[in-house]
Amino acid sequence: MQKLSVQVVVVGGGATGTGILRDLAMRGISALLVEQGDLAHGTSSRFHGLLHSGCRYAVKDPAAARECIEENMILRRIAPNCVEITGGLFVQLPEDDPAYAEEWESACRQAGIEVEEVDPAAVRRQNPALSPRITRAFAVPDCAVDGFRVVWSNLHSARRYGARALTYTRLKAIEQQNSCITGVRAENVLTGEQYHIECQVLINAAGPWAGEVAALAGLEVGVIKDKGTLIAFNHRLVQQVVNRLRPPGDGDIFVPHGPITILGTTSLPVENPADNRPQQKEVLDLLAIGREIIPDLDEYRLIRTFAGVRPLYQEVPLAGSGRSVSRNYALLDHQQRDGLAGLISIVGGKFTTFRLMAEKAADLAAGKLGISRPCRTAGEPLFDPLPPEWLERGRKVFGVAAAHKAAERLGDDFAAVVARAEQNPEQARILCECELVSQAEVEQALAADTTFTLGDVRRKTRLGMGTCQGTFCSYRSLGILSRYPRFAADHRQYLADFLQKRWKGMRPVLWGQQLREAQLSTAIYSALFGMERML
Amino acid sequence: MSGMDKRDYPEPGAESIARPASAGGAGATCAGGSAAQGSHAYDLDNCIKCTICLAHCPVSRVTDKFAGPKQNGPDLERFRLLEPAAVHPSIVYCTGCRTCEVVCPSGVPVAAMNSRAKAQYVARYGAPLRDRLLATPDVAGRLATLAPGLINRLGRSNWLRAAGEKLAGVSAALPLPRYADRSFPVLYRMWRRERQGAGVNSRSSHGVTGGEKVLYYPGCYVNYNQPQIGLAVLDVLVASGVEARVEEFPCCGLPAISAGLYDAARHKGEETLRLLKPYLEEGYRVVTTCPSCLFTLSQKYGELLGLDLAGRPEQITDIFTYLLELKEQGRFSLNPAPLPLRLAYHQPCHQRAMGCGSPSLDVLALIPELQVVDLAAGCCGLAGTYGFKREKYPVSRAIGENVRQAMEQLALSEAVTECGMCALQIGHLTGARVYHPVELLSRAFAQAGQKG
Amino acid sequence: MNSKKTDIMVIGLGLAGMVAAARAAELGKKVVLVGKGAGSLTLSSGGIDLWGYSLEQPEKPALSPRHEISRLVERNKDHPYAKAADVLEDSLAFFQAVCRSAGLPYLSNGLGNWLVPTALGTLRPTCLVPESMAVPDLQQVARILLVGFAELKDFYPAVLAVNLQKCGCLPSGCRLDIADVRMSGREMNAVTLAGRLEQLGVLEEVVAQIRPHLTPGTLVLVPPVLGRARHRQVRENLAALLGCPAYEVAGLPPALPGLRLSDALLTHLKRNGVTVLSGSTVHSVRLDEQRRRCLAVQLAGPGGRLEVQAAAYVLASGSFLGGGLKAGPGLVQETIFGLPVQFDPDGWACEEFLDRRGHAFNSFGLRVNENLQPVDGEGRVCLENVLAAGAILGGSNWPVEKCGNGVALTSGYKAGQLAAGGV
Repeated sequence: MQKLSVQVVVVGGGATGTGILRDLAMRGISALLVEQGDLAHGTSSRFHGLLHSGCRYAVKDPAAARECIEENMILRRIAPNCVEITGGLFVQLPEDDPAYAEEWESACRQAGIEVEEVDPAAVRRQNPALSPRITRAFAVPDCAVDGFRVVWSNLHSARRYGARALTYTRLKAIEQQNSCITGVRAENVLTGEQYHIECQVLINAAGPWAGEVAALAGLEVGVIKDKGTLIAFNHRLVQQVVNRLRPPGDGDIFVPHGPITILGTTSLPVENPADNRPQQKEVLDLLAIGREIIPDLDEYRLIRTFAGVRPLYQEVPLAGSGRSVSRNYALLDHQQRDGLAGLISIVGGKFTTFRLMAEKAADLAAGKLGISRPCRTAGEPLFDPLPPEWLERGRKVFGVAAAHKAAERLGDDFAAVVARAEQNPEQARILCECELVSQAEVEQALAADTTFTLGDVRRKTRLGMGTCQGTFCSYRSLGILSRYPRFAADHRQYLADFLQKRWKGMRPVLWGQQLREAQLSTAIYSALFGMERML
Repeated sequence: MSGMDKRDYPEPGAESIARPASAGGAGATCAGGSAAQGSHAYDLDNCIKCTICLAHCPVSRVTDKFAGPKQNGPDLERFRLLEPAAVHPSIVYCTGCRTCEVVCPSGVPVAAMNSRAKAQYVARYGAPLRDRLLATPDVAGRLATLAPGLINRLGRSNWLRAAGEKLAGVSAALPLPRYADRSFPVLYRMWRRERQGAGVNSRSSHGVTGGEKVLYYPGCYVNYNQPQIGLAVLDVLVASGVEARVEEFPCCGLPAISAGLYDAARHKGEETLRLLKPYLEEGYRVVTTCPSCLFTLSQKYGELLGLDLAGRPEQITDIFTYLLELKEQGRFSLNPAPLPLRLAYHQPCHQRAMGCGSPSLDVLALIPELQVVDLAAGCCGLAGTYGFKREKYPVSRAIGENVRQAMEQLALSEAVTECGMCALQIGHLTGARVYHPVELLSRAFAQAGQKG
Repeated sequence: MNSKKTDIMVIGLGLAGMVAAARAAELGKKVVLVGKGAGSLTLSSGGIDLWGYSLEQPEKPALSPRHEISRLVERNKDHPYAKAADVLEDSLAFFQAVCRSAGLPYLSNGLGNWLVPTALGTLRPTCLVPESMAVPDLQQVARILLVGFAELKDFYPAVLAVNLQKCGCLPSGCRLDIADVRMSGREMNAVTLAGRLEQLGVLEEVVAQIRPHLTPGTLVLVPPVLGRARHRQVRENLAALLGCPAYEVAGLPPALPGLRLSDALLTHLKRNGVTVLSGSTVHSVRLDEQRRRCLAVQLAGPGGRLEVQAAAYVLASGSFLGGGLKAGPGLVQETIFGLPVQFDPDGWACEEFLDRRGHAFNSFGLRVNENLQPVDGEGRVCLENVLAAGAILGGSNWPVEKCGNGVALTSGYKAGQLAAGGV
């Protein structure tokens, strides 16, 4: 049993939780984050990676739209390596209500979002995949954002300010005395190690698990768990985020993301917050909708599908569709709401406004601790900009493309990775040839105290997330992993878990080239390695 | 297992052409169908990273300086959609042999991707003067034939070659191709005058007979180095009752494409097409003897340079395919004399890339007593100008080692191949006498003529 | 368009197609072998797997693959072996004779299976292996030296060591040591490394780094990189320098043992008069009026169109990977003739990637009669002069059964023989 003591414990290692941790740490508040799995394993990495301009919400929820555009601009500034400034498009097809465009345009302007009508022909010249039937198009300030990077950057920054995080650590109990939070008990799910952590404030930022966390304190928080399924295409189909100019619906946003494109999402209520298993039917539905914007969508290769569970807050849980529930967040002060001092829940919201949500939660927590230092997260960059010299050195060891990708992924870890490869030239080799992940980068990830599985390496590096979905790099990374004594134990398990996670995303899209890819993968791991019978 | 495909099979009906599903018959239902043809964006989706291209790459076999066709090609192509400069510097080690494309089970134009990537690289970082010079064999040829004796002597001068290697990076180890005393266009004019003077078979002042209009496209190697191949072509055609026209073309542009100098290549291509198009439009058949020129005209112009052959690629063919057509029509009636020779056949990479085997072997099979053994040893390694570059000569030579060993194992001292540069390399590596197949054919015809 | 007349046209440059062409050529027929791609032998171990595991106890390696196959064909009439196992012994003998003459002998382990190690440290049961992989019985060795190359990112002796020890096939007290060879520091793939090791000087440097780890009686295992065209000299030189043989361990593609086999067979075919058209795709096929026979197959390549007219056709175009089959959501098609495909629209794949039952999609394919003619759902022959062989045949879950190359070999041999006999 480890005993720890901090002012604030944050539960949940997604964007909001790590954002809160960073915010608190920057205010000089001692804080510790507890996450049941790896950071960003949940909703924060299971969305289409769209940094909203707010346009999507402008008609129905102008306040949310205004928040989006403000946060959009802040994130571009503080996290340039996490945001790809692609710009976005709203496109209208003949079957869409033409009147909606006028209403939408003026709502966007009122929300302070710059939208500009553009020539559909020019849009198609830049994005030949788009439908020739587009009647109107508007350029908006949407961007692509990398959820993994934001979460990791938050943590790195928070650590520099003295915060701590325990991953793979599940909250077991919330302790209270006299209607006051006094601490929590937690357990490392991999090692069984027990923790007793004293704290004055507990912030529940567990996303779809927020109800479960509140239940540990005997309270009820209404979270609708809304599964959204997405599909990833093998390459960049469009150069800008493409939205459909009509009231928000399923499957109508394409987000280009580095070398891939994500299309999403569906909306389906689920019982279990861990139910992120996509089904083939959802994929086919998405394709049917996406085809309206990109007519020959079926010709492009799907590499996988994935799903995330949106936590939608509703004070009184109701049966009903997730789409009609507000995307806004709710900050619950359980002292006022339930008479339990020291417990705060932050529920709902969207990735784009995570920083704002963190700010509000941290404000409340600071207030409870009697600390008046203001929030600084909107002004201070998540990491120091990379000196150009390091990029140049990176290009020398990894090549242009691999260096640029690594620099984007790694942020301020990039220099350390370049230095590794400079010292050990063999570490410059590319283990994941689809996503250009070097051995040095994998070693850097393995050396981190937050890495326990190959999946953790994947989330930190994008290893295995490209075209071949890990067929080649998973064996290679096993080879690297086996050099680290703490990973020496069970090779079969590490590899099987990794391959299984990839399989979960591939299995619903087994046709065309991806079926051939699956056949190659079984030819290697089953026919060649006989891994299905490996002990 | 249930669920047999429910289609009624086979259907009765007239003689029918069934298009395979892969050619788009079912494009609407199975991904990768008709719309996928010809678009770079789909091409890279077809790569499943199986490494078969790498397994067969002749360059990867001999050097670690090349990151391989897969990594340079489809792997980085995904990133080039985002960042056009995503090129690995090792791209300059690609010989452009097209093996990767031939062996790819997924129809990915790996070599074309690599070629475009190399052009991107060169456009960004420039090409050495040497590469620019090597990319214009027609200019060099025309200059050399002004004083071929001198040029050939200089080309064999050890100190000059050493200086060339040191200063310009042109390998001194490989003999430069000898320039002919008279260029093929000159010899052709003489040949025509002789025939007209003799009044043989000269039914038309334009060299057109029997209603069939044929243009012979010689290529630089025949024009400036081995014009006797061109004369052999004319003789063989005449023996078959066809008199071909000859036009003086610039270089097809392949050496420039290989050097990544697309602008220069496009310039050559446009000039070539300007000369070629009137013939194509008039319905001429264009026959070639150089697989690389043919491949460039019929494939690379469209694929890499965006040039089109007036929509008539089927009019351009290699001489042997054309002769086989004549034979099919019963117009190739002369019986060649026996040639009691045993030779090795080397299939040039660009010949293989055309996907129709080696029609020359079918033609040579008509010569009695001629034994042709397929070397089956893969790329010779010269790859046009590649082997002449100092830093690439060792790579080139190492690739050719299989050819050398196969010649040795089969105890052969003579060889036949369609490509002049392959011939040069085989001669360099083995000391063998190397023929163009049309030379053997012409010899067999000549001997038959003497006997007759 | 030019046309080419021949006795037999074989479509597919993989093991099945090459063996079919070789057999038909041996029977004196004129053969045209065409294909896009180069077959997938470089994705296999390079061994000939006949049947891996006991039918009764699927966890136990099959002691006699022939015995298992003879029982399999009684039980499962849809398995490709049920149509082709009658030529099993002939095809193995033929294959061994061809390989021997090509300088790449394949060895059998009596009538049983070899158990050869893989780069993952598993042992794979296989029937015929090239000399370079013919590892002696691991239960008899006291010490194993695993050699790795720092430059090779596709092979890790440490992984091999950990898992070999776990597999329970080593005698107790068997010692495993690792020798890490370092050459240049630059990354190399197996193809490049194999080329490098063909140089005697390089081999000597390598051996100098291995020798200190060597004691008498040690079994030396190396990645599958012992040369390509000159593999024989590399192996002999290495054995002479080490004082003992070294054995190759099957690893990630690109696999040199498969590449050597592919090279050897292709050279054999070309030197024996088979016309090989590589880089060619089938554009269309021409059938007779009754759609009972194939009259011609039209090919398209960058060089133009070519029509091949043959008396019989062997379709060895592979499964999904090879391009013989293609799939859309819930739909599978044969790509050249549009032949009916046997597949289950509702069950393609298991939930678990490593499910021991294997994924159904790997067993999708053509159904054939005992003459290897594709048949429809009612068992009627589709095209009289078209035979099918290799991975395009349905009914075999080759990744878990370990019979991919075995099925390719026997069905290819039989198809070549039947085609030559006139169909």
